[in-house]
Amino acid sequence: MRLQLEPAKPASALRDILHTAALALLLVPGAAKAADTDPTDRIDFTTLLYGEQSRTQIFEPVVRFTHLMSDGQWVSGQLGIDVITGSSPTGALPSGIVQTRTSASGRTITSPAGQIPMAPFKDRRVSLDGQWQRPWGRLVSSTLGGHFSREKDYQSFGVDGKFSTDLMHRLLNITIGGGVSRDSVFPVGGTPAGLSAGTIIHTGSNAKNVSNVLLGASRILSRVWMVSVNGTRTFESGYLTEPYKLITVENRVTGAPVSSLTDKRPSTRDRSSVLLSSVYHLTDDVVYTSYRYYWDTWNVRSHTIDLKYRRVLDADTYVEPLLRYYQQSSASFYTVGLIQGAPLPEYGTSDYRLGKLRTITVGGTFGFRAGDVPGSFTVRGQYMRQAGDGSPPNAIGIQRNFDLSPSISIFSAVVGYTFDY
Amino acid sequence: MNGVSSAPLLDRVEDYFVGTFRAMASPCSVLVDTDDPTEAEALLAVAEEEARRIEEKFSRYRRGNLVDQINHSNGRPIDVDEEAALLINYAVTCYAMSDGMFDITSGVLRQVWTFDGSSRVPSRDAVRNCLRHVGWWRVGWKQPTLTLPAGMEIDFGGIGKEYAVDRAAVLIGQRTRSSYVVNFGGDLYMSGPRRGSRTWGVGVDDPDRTGEVALYRLDVSRGGFATSGDASRFVRRRGKRLGHILNPKTGWPVDGAPRSITVFGRTCMEAGTLSTLAYLQGPRARQYLEKQDVQFWIV
Repeated sequence: MRLQLEPAKPASALRDILHTAALALLLVPGAAKAADTDPTDRIDFTTLLYGEQSRTQIFEPVVRFTHLMSDGQWVSGQLGIDVITGSSPTGALPSGIVQTRTSASGRTITSPAGQIPMAPFKDRRVSLDGQWQRPWGRLVSSTLGGHFSREKDYQSFGVDGKFSTDLMHRLLNITIGGGVSRDSVFPVGGTPAGLSAGTIIHTGSNAKNVSNVLLGASRILSRVWMVSVNGTRTFESGYLTEPYKLITVENRVTGAPVSSLTDKRPSTRDRSSVLLSSVYHLTDDVVYTSYRYYWDTWNVRSHTIDLKYRRVLDADTYVEPLLRYYQQSSASFYTVGLIQGAPLPEYGTSDYRLGKLRTITVGGTFGFRAGDVPGSFTVRGQYMRQAGDGSPPNAIGIQRNFDLSPSISIFSAVVGYTFDY
Repeated sequence: MNGVSSAPLLDRVEDYFVGTFRAMASPCSVLVDTDDPTEAEALLAVAEEEARRIEEKFSRYRRGNLVDQINHSNGRPIDVDEEAALLINYAVTCYAMSDGMFDITSGVLRQVWTFDGSSRVPSRDAVRNCLRHVGWWRVGWKQPTLTLPAGMEIDFGGIGKEYAVDRAAVLIGQRTRSSYVVNFGGDLYMSGPRRGSRTWGVGVDDPDRTGEVALYRLDVSRGGFATSGDASRFVRRRGKRLGHILNPKTGWPVDGAPRSITVFGRTCMEAGTLSTLAYLQGPRARQYLEKQDVQFWIV
């Protein structure tokens, strides 16, 4: 008997598992009439509201439809629309004077003295996703998917697929998959040459190809504990540069901005990640923990630690606080600025997303049902504090007076509604 | 009670009502701590309807119901509704937690075993042949699709009555604030203390004199009770009683188990499952229950 071989297990674990399993059965609303109201279709609505303090704002409603078939197959389709407004750092450095530059589209942008120059933008993105899963026998299933998205200066089209199989009496699940995506980047006003003053080299689109493979295994260790490990490898090639980002050229002594040059990144990037995660069921509550290590050929390394705790309040209600820590090293060609007169590097960027970065996120999800309204609701809120390297050792002259990577706060809220019929 | 009538009866006893009916081959009763006969009658009707619904749907003796369809599927996959899926999931939990000793496919063994108090014991070969059709691990289960190999059967007999007790209790609880007891053939659930802080008394029967002599009288207020044992269904072999609970791994009755095991749990299902799992432990039943941090009575 397993329980007798494992004296470490708390005496009441079995009782709790049986109790939980019995409640799952007994508290199903309308289990009694479930026979004739088996749901086969489901609709999810979610709306994401995302706001970076005086930077980007995103409003993203998504509708997802899932149809379950009697033979275990399901198909789903999703339509999403993002409306993005706000401004993003151009990458240029602040200075003691008002800075003016002309955007790719011919508009003049001025930045107040002493502040990080920002470029305003407004964009709308439409995305379509589809997925089809089917079982093959009772241990194997396959999933095929496709996506298309389009915005003002970017288009993505891709397909992916994966195979999943249960082994060892379903205690072990192995997933193998991969995907390819053909993307195009067509910057507004044309594509500038890299590390140039903004010389437009052509006005067509630039290809970007992405392919990825994934391998995952999850293992049920006991009735209450599951662990999994997932590895991914992604190969990107083509136009990987951010056409609107700038690098400041500064005076060798004073650090005052003299001019700015465009961003330039290598045309290939291999990205790898390993994710370890654990899901542990307490009597009713669930503890999720995960750690992710990421590295790529641009020399970016990152660590992510995630902690979530789902507290079940009653059959219909739960709260789930979240704590996340993220830390990233900078890309090998990241620089806060270039020095006037010095030889140009092969690649360069001042994009804060490729710099040294550390973020802490706290948040929570609240799930509930509303009276007699069918379906369930979720409300999710997150607050993220992001800090970069505000005073890098190589800052020159007046740049030492500024916080080159001011901490920013990001709020996001998601409201979701799921409905089975 | 020796109820032959299937019509529900309602009686006033002292200051509460007792309603009785017969379902699932057992005498069933509902006790309601109220002075209002209409309330008691309505709650009795709810319990009876639920007991009959579950019996109709999950009894393996009904032609054409879900269990019958599954047992005659000849290896074809069958889709089950949500309630059946959850009940199967519960059974799978019990199977996993007992290392395969609790198995809803073990009912096939009754083709060779008849527990009528006689000395008819099947041959070892007959049992061995039968065992080829026993074992949850042979079954394909990917919710909501169940694939049962030809020749196998499933049977919710081991949890169905307790499930019916708890379901009836949930439905009654949604309709009243009065204290109540649901008792289906000795497996029962009581909702809480009666008026005036009194408790419902429950007796544990002497297995040899069911319904006549209570060995213990327990005063508890809220939770489920269930008993496993060989009180009435057994065979004799070389003078020894073999109870009707079979070990799905050997195909033989569990040997050396106590005559009866009563467990008190938070729900009737929890109590019933624990008493069954303990019984399957045979002579180690007491040891097993002591580890579960649960109140129990062994006779």
